[in-house]
Amino acid sequence: MSASVQEPSRDELLAMAYVDGELDLAARKAFEIQLAQREDLRREVVQLQKLGLLARSMAAAEPIDHEWKRLARDPLQRTSTVVGFVALAVGATGLAGWGGWMVWQSEMPMVPKTLLAALCAGGLILFLVTLRGRLRTLPFDPYTEIER
Amino acid sequence: MILCTTDAVPGRVILESIGLVRGNTVRSRHLGRDISASFKRLVGGEIEEYTKLLAESREQAIDRMVAEARARGADAIVCLRFTTCEITNGAAEFVAYGTAVKLGK
Repeated sequence: MSASVQEPSRDELLAMAYVDGELDLAARKAFEIQLAQREDLRREVVQLQKLGLLARSMAAAEPIDHEWKRLARDPLQRTSTVVGFVALAVGATGLAGWGGWMVWQSEMPMVPKTLLAALCAGGLILFLVTLRGRLRTLPFDPYTEIER
Repeated sequence: MILCTTDAVPGRVILESIGLVRGNTVRSRHLGRDISASFKRLVGGEIEEYTKLLAESREQAIDRMVAEARARGADAIVCLRFTTCEITNGAAEFVAYGTAVKLGK
């Protein structure tokens, strides 16, 4: 047995106690102040939560799981899925762009054209802002690895 | 923290009832998963995308409920219940609730 396992630091021990609910009120509040200020500590807490969730939601693999994994590795299945999604995305984006262009080129008065453009731009901006928010918070969401 | 669906914890005495504790969440999968799920609806079988969605929601709701119980000094939650409903298409709301109690020997 190698002795390479490092002793947990004070922060790690505090994070473990925090995740396990073993800190008293004052210690918890103090830790939460640290948590708000330090991203490394937030990541540590999320890792520990993930570990706890993994232990809690551990389920025996079912025969169908192995078949789903085999299918996920199957080149035909993977390629077909990627091609399908790419074709769908290209088709939807292309149609939306083409539709927008047709409206812009039409005889429609300038005011509704501008309003339509604002509507599309607003939708796109809100989507991108929401996506940015999701991508920023994703590393702190410990629930994404739960399977069933 | 002991979680149980019964009115009491076998072998333990309830010293104090702290009150209702609950945790809820509404989660969704991304559009790609919704598209996959809609095709699976056509051919039948388990829709793992939504199995996973419900499981994620369940665990998050439990964690929030337990966090509230811990903050209120509880040792256990009895009469634990789950409920779920659809807020919007493709999203799952999950509520976990129960009665937080202090236990004696």
